[in-house]
Amino acid sequence: MATVTFDEATRVYPGSDTPAVDKLNIDIEDGEFLVLVGPSGCGKSTSLRMLAGLEEVNDGRILIGERDVTDLSPKDRDVAMVFQNYALYPHMSVADNMGFALKIAGKPKDEIRKRVQEAAKILDLEAYLDRKPKALSGGQRQRVAMGRAIVRQPQVFLMDEPLSNLDAKLRVQTRTQIASLQRRLGVTTVYVTHDQVEAMTMGDRVAVLKDGILQQCASPREMYDHPNNVFVAGFIGSPAMNLLDVPVVDGGVKFGNTALPIPRDHLAEAGSRAIVGARPEDLTLSDDGTGLAVTVDVVEELGADAYIYGTSKTESGEDAQIIARVDGRTPPEKGAQIHLTPKPAHLHLFNAGSGERISV
Amino acid sequence: MTALGTGVAPGSTKPARTRRRPGKKLTFDKVSFFLVFLGVPVVFYLAFVVSPFVQAVYYSLTDWSGFSPEMNFVGISNYRTLLGDGTFMKSVGNSITLVIVLPVVTIVLSLVLASFVTVGGSSHGRIKGLRNSSFYRVISFFPYVVPAIIIGIMWQQIYDPSAGLLNGVLTRLGFQQFSSFPWLGDERTAMVATMFVIVWGFVGFYMVLFVAGIKGIPAELYEAARIDGAGRFRTMTRITIPMIRDNIQTAYIYMGILSLDAFVYMVAMNPGGGPNNSTLVMAQQLFSTAFTQGKFGLACAMGVVLAAITLTFAGLVFVVNWLTGGHEDITE
Repeated sequence: MATVTFDEATRVYPGSDTPAVDKLNIDIEDGEFLVLVGPSGCGKSTSLRMLAGLEEVNDGRILIGERDVTDLSPKDRDVAMVFQNYALYPHMSVADNMGFALKIAGKPKDEIRKRVQEAAKILDLEAYLDRKPKALSGGQRQRVAMGRAIVRQPQVFLMDEPLSNLDAKLRVQTRTQIASLQRRLGVTTVYVTHDQVEAMTMGDRVAVLKDGILQQCASPREMYDHPNNVFVAGFIGSPAMNLLDVPVVDGGVKFGNTALPIPRDHLAEAGSRAIVGARPEDLTLSDDGTGLAVTVDVVEELGADAYIYGTSKTESGEDAQIIARVDGRTPPEKGAQIHLTPKPAHLHLFNAGSGERISV
Repeated sequence: MTALGTGVAPGSTKPARTRRRPGKKLTFDKVSFFLVFLGVPVVFYLAFVVSPFVQAVYYSLTDWSGFSPEMNFVGISNYRTLLGDGTFMKSVGNSITLVIVLPVVTIVLSLVLASFVTVGGSSHGRIKGLRNSSFYRVISFFPYVVPAIIIGIMWQQIYDPSAGLLNGVLTRLGFQQFSSFPWLGDERTAMVATMFVIVWGFVGFYMVLFVAGIKGIPAELYEAARIDGAGRFRTMTRITIPMIRDNIQTAYIYMGILSLDAFVYMVAMNPGGGPNNSTLVMAQQLFSTAFTQGKFGLACAMGVVLAAITLTFAGLVFVVNWLTGGHEDITE
């Protein structure tokens, strides 16, 4: 068990000018579950592979504990990895798959058997130890891949989208299992996913990457309540936050036919325009016709709640999609004209040019 | 159908079984399909492959001289003669030496080279081959492009005791004892020197075959092995070889059959069978028995023995592969 530190770690692929991972700085605490999340091509997998030693580090350093592992080969890093396609050795039985690393390390047979048995018990794989991976279901294979990592008792677990090959129901189940297993074992874990729900539900902290650049690294709650910039605001949360480009007026920003009051020094930061963000659950239907005028396109009824998907004409005449959560018992009709106002306490304000958060 | 239905209560939803499923009916379509795609090839195969075999076995039981229509049935006397023929038995021994040594050496060498150019590079960073590996890959394939007879003649020149390249280089390096050493004319070295040439000629080809096999293994498997701590040697024995064992088995059989023949190389380098027949192989002996001595009946018997040894070899390879677990289908 150890801390993990990315210190200005950079990876530039040969033949490319822009770095795939650009000066990444993350400090991961001992026993922490960190999730790297972002859209495809954001450099999250590359970062993980750099930590595993499967990808070179062009600049900066990577440390595991106090050890600089930047130039160490993977076998000397004491990390275990779970791959997206599991990468089980097809010619070996489940037990041999799990015990492979110990066998390579020259551990005595009794110890290997004992540790494999223990891991198999944790993962409910005892009945399948003699089977070949081919004879296992997707979920079982996933557990074998986890088992292979657990048996090692490494300093760090690396997981590269380990759930994306499972069906939706199993994914939700396994998600919880992995998270609780990690808490129980207390091994520092770096987990890569493109699914922000996975990121929010599993991680102690979440790091959002975009185009190789770290956007924000914070706890799920913090990330949800105080996104650093427009990208994080739009990426985290489902359905996504409503983001509107609005003009700044005296003492606030314009929101439909009303002005939302904003403290003056914050407005000074914004300039003449700003981006206002409000989560679907922070928009309320107004009775008096004030707020943003929205035409309802689709109403998604979920029982307790309903999501309204509507469009609103912006200042420039374009259609902006607006999503709002309303009470499930009395949702507006499709095609209705409604007005929405945000809860002032949960309003987000971003700089229209840089997209950076203006603290509200 | 009625017989089947007797035990079933009226109104039961159990479907009635038909005796013959529609797919099994012999329609004109099917019959013509079988005739054209199965019948015709079988006829050709019988006419051009099986019948010569049968013919050869028959001739091996006669004293046919090859150029006259007369022949007498002599039973297994030809085979008896072979058993007592020291030269032939020597050639059998040489062929068996070749079939044991050549495939092993060639396959081990080409596997190692194939590993190096595909996954044997830096143990840090992505899985890749050695630097400039594509260059080596092309270079190593060159010998395979050269016809066997040219390879044989070329190496005969290289091995030449007084004017050869090899002895020239060795004497230049200070090994004066090799100044006129007859590599192909000394009983101790003739066989080894010849085997070296055959290995040299085929390593590149099998390397390319194995490179293709290794490229088909998912890179994650190598990455997982690397993280699990396997070095180059263990990666090869634990991952590469089990994953491409079908390729290796095929290569082994090809190379074995080629070793049992080896006619061209032997004739080019030592037409007379080498010093004290030390490089004489069965195919060579068969050729001279038939076309020089005109004993076609005896030569056919040799051919039958050669075929029997070849089949035994292939069978052995399959059995060994089966016993070591190769029959288990591991593909998903």
